[in-house]
Amino acid sequence: MNSTGVQDRNGKLVEYLELLRSLAQELERSMQAISQNSLSPLEDSVANQQVLATRLHELANDLSEPVEDRSVASSGGGDEGLMREIHGASKTLQALNQRYAALLKLSSHSVGLMVSLFSSFRGQIQEGTGPRLEHQTWSCQV
Amino acid sequence: MGGLSASLLIGVQALEANQGALNATSNNIANANTPGYTREVPQFTEATVSDVNGEVLGGGVELTGLQSVRDELLNMQIDQQTSAQSSVDTQSTSLQQAQTYFTTTGGDIASALSSFSSSLAELSANSSSTAEQQTVVSSGQDLAEAFNTAANGLTTVQSAADTQVTQTVAQINTLTAQIASLNGQLWQLQASGQDGGTVEDQRDQDVQQLSQLTGISITQSNTGETITTANGSPLVMGSQSFSLQTATGSNGTQQVIDSSGNNITSSIQGGQLGGAIEIRDQTIPSYLSQLNTLASQFSTAFNAAQAQGYTSSGAQGGNFFTVTSAANAASTISVSNSAQVAVSSDGSSGSNGNVANLSATLTNKLPSGQTAADAYASLVYQVGNDTSTASSNSTAIGDNLLSLTNQQSAISGVNIDEETTNLIKYQTAYEAAARIVSTVQALGTVTLDMGSTQSY
Repeated sequence: MNSTGVQDRNGKLVEYLELLRSLAQELERSMQAISQNSLSPLEDSVANQQVLATRLHELANDLSEPVEDRSVASSGGGDEGLMREIHGASKTLQALNQRYAALLKLSSHSVGLMVSLFSSFRGQIQEGTGPRLEHQTWSCQV
Repeated sequence: MGGLSASLLIGVQALEANQGALNATSNNIANANTPGYTREVPQFTEATVSDVNGEVLGGGVELTGLQSVRDELLNMQIDQQTSAQSSVDTQSTSLQQAQTYFTTTGGDIASALSSFSSSLAELSANSSSTAEQQTVVSSGQDLAEAFNTAANGLTTVQSAADTQVTQTVAQINTLTAQIASLNGQLWQLQASGQDGGTVEDQRDQDVQQLSQLTGISITQSNTGETITTANGSPLVMGSQSFSLQTATGSNGTQQVIDSSGNNITSSIQGGQLGGAIEIRDQTIPSYLSQLNTLASQFSTAFNAAQAQGYTSSGAQGGNFFTVTSAANAASTISVSNSAQVAVSSDGSSGSNGNVANLSATLTNKLPSGQTAADAYASLVYQVGNDTSTASSNSTAIGDNLLSLTNQQSAISGVNIDEETTNLIKYQTAYEAAARIVSTVQALGTVTLDMGSTQSY
């Protein structure tokens, strides 16, 4: 790999690092949205996560290709520093991802139960009418 | 990435909040068809904001408790209307019973007056006939019995209302004791920060039942509800109840005595108790009074006409009707023993001159200003009108009560469609998010591999 190839790889690593950080921010944003009952921000964040995850996956595949040019290895000082940052960001993202997964798991379970409850009671409940119906009971809390 | 620890905390808090919301909603749905249930809404507040190294972090959400959705003003209106309807229903039932004694099916006073008049007319045409004279006596007995039947019937309705007073007071005492106990439980729950929604629902139902029994006034205080009768006699103050008692009054009816020993019978309004007392002490006595006046005035007028004439044996006419008690003329009126019709105006054989005087008592106005038939017709109209008014009042109050109950249902109602739509949206979002979680997990391995490829 020539110098252009090294620059290109470093550029991708930098982009990869930024994407990892952006994705971590999106996970935080999603958890905030869930805790604040904000469905729209959650949907927006999930959409962003999909874009980021797709790009990260492409870059990861690209960057995982074996490097044959020894010059890259010899000039790897800069890459090693970058890689440490990437590994740090990745670990942080993984930890955050675990918490996010737990939150989603329980919340999904709760929502599933609620859907079952509502389905099973559908048609048996005399629904109220009138102006005070703007009161919501709970759904946005889950 | 300063938000990592904050995010973890927010995540945990959100999980706890979700669980609380889930429990509340499960309870709401499970009790959707439970009478008197008031839905509970989870109360969320934003958790305390923290400052980490100058960076202000949001604290997420906390479930601070559950709140029953109640409209106390609406509840009060429902209690008032319930009380009013119960009162008119009680009156309506009693009036319908009373009305059966004022029918025109043949055995009533109007029919008896008509038959009595006819028998006198026939006697006028054949004054020497013993059979016709006996027919007049027989018709007179029918008339007296018709008065007796109507008066006794009204007294029966009155006695039933009197019995209802005693029974209702006993029910009131049972309910006030329960409400006081629930007030105590509620106060303890609230003092310890627990949700008292279920106890409050039970108390509201008991209060509504109490309002069916009697008109009440409710005020809220720190130690729970204070409930009094319309005149302010205490029934419940916090966790203490005050029993009512009944005692036989000077007129023989049951009087209601409050916990201080005051006779509050005349001030009780609304509910079964108010309705029963109104029927017993006002409505029925009014009918009986008119009936007694009619019986008394008619018998007096007829006996006076008798005194103007002579019997077929030449004796001066004696009292045809006997009334043993002027105050209860209708129930005590009867035809005198060995009553004879004073047909003759001068004592001569074949004279029928006094029959006209006797007949005139049916067509002339009595001291009340009406003829006997008109006076009775007025009474029948009044009973019918009162019955009809009570029935229509019950319908009107019932409509109003239904409207109020619908409003209450609207406040407590669960909007299934809206909730389900939101739930499905959440499900979709969570499913998409779960796929990303898997992708991120896979990326972690790839990233580590990227590191290893750099080390060759």
